[in-house]
Amino acid sequence: MTITRVTQSMMTERSLTGLQGSLGKLADIQEHLSTGRILNRPSDSPTGTAAAMRLRGAIAQQQQFARNAEDGLGWLNTADATLQSTNDQLRTARDRALQGANAATSPAAREALATEVEQIRAGVLAAANTSYLGRPIFGGTTAGSTAYASASPGAGLPEVVTYTGDGGSVSRTVAEGVSIEVQVDGEAAFGPDGDSVFDHLDALAAALRSGDTAAIRAGVDAVTADMDRVGSALANVGARAVRVEQATVRAADAETGLASSLSEIENTDLPQAMVELQMQEVAYQAALAATARVLQPSLVDFLR
Amino acid sequence: MTGTFSSVNNALSALRYHQVVMDVSSGNIANVSTDGYARRRVIGEAMGAPVQPAMWSRYEGAGDGVKVGGLQRMVDQFLDVRARREHGNQSFLDVRQSVLERVEAGIGEPGENGVAAALDEFRSGWHVLANNPDSEAARSQVLARAATLADALSVQRRNVEVEEGDQRIVLLSGVDEVNTLAGDLAETNRSIAVAQMNGTEAGVLLDKRDALALRISELTGASATLNAKGGLDVTVGGVALVSGSDAGVLAVSSGINADGTADGGPVGFTVTSPGGTVTDVTGGVGGEAGGVAELLTTTLPAHRAGIEAVAQRLADDVNAAHGAGFDQDGNPGQPVFTFDPTDPGGPLVLNLDDPRLVAASATGGGPNRNGDNATAVADALSGAAGAYQRLVTGFGSEVASTRRLAGNQQALTGQVDAAREQLSGVSLDEEMVTMLQAQRAYEAAARVMTTIDSVLDTLINRTGLVR
Repeated sequence: MTITRVTQSMMTERSLTGLQGSLGKLADIQEHLSTGRILNRPSDSPTGTAAAMRLRGAIAQQQQFARNAEDGLGWLNTADATLQSTNDQLRTARDRALQGANAATSPAAREALATEVEQIRAGVLAAANTSYLGRPIFGGTTAGSTAYASASPGAGLPEVVTYTGDGGSVSRTVAEGVSIEVQVDGEAAFGPDGDSVFDHLDALAAALRSGDTAAIRAGVDAVTADMDRVGSALANVGARAVRVEQATVRAADAETGLASSLSEIENTDLPQAMVELQMQEVAYQAALAATARVLQPSLVDFLR
Repeated sequence: MTGTFSSVNNALSALRYHQVVMDVSSGNIANVSTDGYARRRVIGEAMGAPVQPAMWSRYEGAGDGVKVGGLQRMVDQFLDVRARREHGNQSFLDVRQSVLERVEAGIGEPGENGVAAALDEFRSGWHVLANNPDSEAARSQVLARAATLADALSVQRRNVEVEEGDQRIVLLSGVDEVNTLAGDLAETNRSIAVAQMNGTEAGVLLDKRDALALRISELTGASATLNAKGGLDVTVGGVALVSGSDAGVLAVSSGINADGTADGGPVGFTVTSPGGTVTDVTGGVGGEAGGVAELLTTTLPAHRAGIEAVAQRLADDVNAAHGAGFDQDGNPGQPVFTFDPTDPGGPLVLNLDDPRLVAASATGGGPNRNGDNATAVADALSGAAGAYQRLVTGFGSEVASTRRLAGNQQALTGQVDAAREQLSGVSLDEEMVTMLQAQRAYEAAARVMTTIDSVLDTLINRTGLVR
C-alpha cells in the first residue's frame, strides 16, 4: 500500500493498534508464566487438549491400578503369613504324632500329646478364619465373617469343622485388562469337608488318646499330605504376589512417564517464557518510546 | 474597459475567499478527532468573462477576482461501500468470537475441575468399591461421585443455555437499535434532499448519513447505495430497509418469542415496509445480528446437543453395566442415571438413593462380597470419556478457527479504514500550510487594496493641482 497522505489520527490509530498487539502478547506470556501452563483453554491447542485430557485420564487410572495392586498385595501377604504359620503348626502336630507313635510313650504322655494336637487344631482353625479388612481371606466372596465354622452335628457328638465360604474369586484389576486373583480358596488350602486338615487332626488326637499306633501312622501321613497342600497354596500365593508387585512397579513407572508427557504438553517452559517476556518487554518499551516521539511534533510546533 | 473601482472589488473578493478558506481550515482542525468527519476543501473559481449576452457585446476585463465554487467533502463512495462490507464481516466474527470464548471458559478443560476429572473420580470410585464391595463408605462414595459428575455435565449444559438466553436478548435489542438507526437515516436522507434542493451546504448531514449507514451495516451486514437525491438506500439481505425518506421495520420473525424465550425454530428475520408489506429476509443477515442468529440457530444448539449426547452415552453405558450386576441384597442393579421425564433431553438425574442399591456384585442370589461388576462399570466409562474428549476438542477447534478468522478480518478492516482515513482524515500539517497560505493571500489582497486606494487618492485628490 502506497501511502500518499498520512494524518495525525492515522498515526494515533496505528500506534494504538501496535501497542495493543504488543501488550496482548505480553499478557499472553504473563498468563503462561503466572499459571505455569501454556494450555489454559481448549482453543489454545485443540489437539494438545485432547492429548492432555487422555493423559489425565490415564494417570488417574494408573494411580487407581497402583492402589488396587497395593490392596491385593495386602491380601496376598496376609494369606502368605497365615499359610506359613499353618505349615509350622502342622509340622509341630506331625512331630507330636511321631512321638506318640513311639511304643515307649506312656498313656499320660499320649493324653498330653493329644491335647496339644487339639490345641493345634484350634490354632489352625483360627488361622483359617483370618480376615483382612473385615473379610475372611479363605472365604471367597462370602457375606459372612468366617470361612470355617466349628459346630457339633448333634447333641453329645464332637464338634466338626465345616467350610462356610463360597469359594468365589476375589480379584484386583492391576493394569488395563489384567486382573489377578488375590484370595486363596479355603478348600484348596485346607482340604474339602470330610477330608480336611481339621478332620485329620481330630482323627490324630483320637488315635493318640487310644494309643492305636497304626491309626497314628495313618494320621501322620494325612498331616504330611496336608502340609504339602498348604505348601503348594503358599507357592501359588507367592507367585501371585510377585505378579502384583511387578504390576505396582509398572503402574508407578507408567504414571511417571504419563505425568512427564502431560507436563510437556501443558506446562510452560519457564526459561523460554522468561526470555520471551524479556524480548516482548523490550519491544513494548520501544513501541512506547517511538509512539511518544512520533505523536508529539506537528507543523504547529515549528510555525511562529 | 473596466470600471475604476473594479480592482477594489477584485481585492475584496480575494479577502472574502481567503476568509472562507481560513474558516474551513479551522473547521477541519476543530474536527481533527471527530469520528466520521470527512475533511472539506474549498474549491476556488476565478471570476472572468460572463457569458456573451449579445452578439456584439464584448468583455473587456482582465479577471474579476475569485469566488467560492463549493466545498468538497473528501470521500470516496467505493471505499465507503468497502468499509461497510468489511465492518459488517468484522462484527459478525467478533460477536462469534466473544460468545464462543465465554462458553469455552465455562468448560474448564484441561484441568482438575472439569467433567473429565469428575469422570476419572467416578471411575476410581467404582474401583475402590470393587476392592471393598461391602464397604458402606465406598458405596456412598460412588453415589456422591455420580452426583458430582451429573452436576458437572448439567453445569456445562446450563452455561450454554444461559449464553443462548443472553444472546436472544442481545439480538432483540440489536434489532431495536437497527430500527432506530433506520428511522434516523430516513430522516437524514429527507434533510439531505431538502438541503440539496435549497442549495444549502449539507456536509454535516452527509457525515451523519455515512455514520448511520456504517452502524447499520455493522449490526446487520446491510449494503447501502447512493440514491438520486443524495441519500443512502439500505438493503438487508436483499430486502429494502431504508428507501429514501422511508424506513421499514426489521423484526425477528421466528426462533425467538417476544419475551426472549426460544421457540425452537431457526432464527429468521422480516422487514415490514412503511406500506405494511411484510417480506422475509431470505438473503441472509450478516453483521452482529447475523452472528448472533448463527450462534443461536447452529453453533450453540450443536454444542448443547453434544453435551446431551455425552450424558446420554454415560447413562446408557453405566446403566447397562450396572443392570448386569446385583446389589447388596442380591437383586439386579437398577439404572444409576435417569432423565427427568418432564424435561426431555434435560440434565441427568441420579436414580439411586440407597448405597445398598449399588450393584457391585456379579453374582446374584443373595448377599456376597463379589466386586467384579463394579470393575465392569468402571471399564464401561471409557466410551463416554472418549465422546466428551471429542466434544471438547471439536469445540476448541471451532473457537481457535473463529479467533483466527476474526484476526485476519481485523487486518483487512484495518487496511480499509486506513485507506479511508488517508483520504478523509484531517492532517494538521496540511491545515497549517493552508492557513498560512490563506493568511498571506489575505495580507496581499489587503495590500492590493491599499495600493489601489493610494492610486485613487492620486487620481482624485491630486489630479490637476499645481503646486
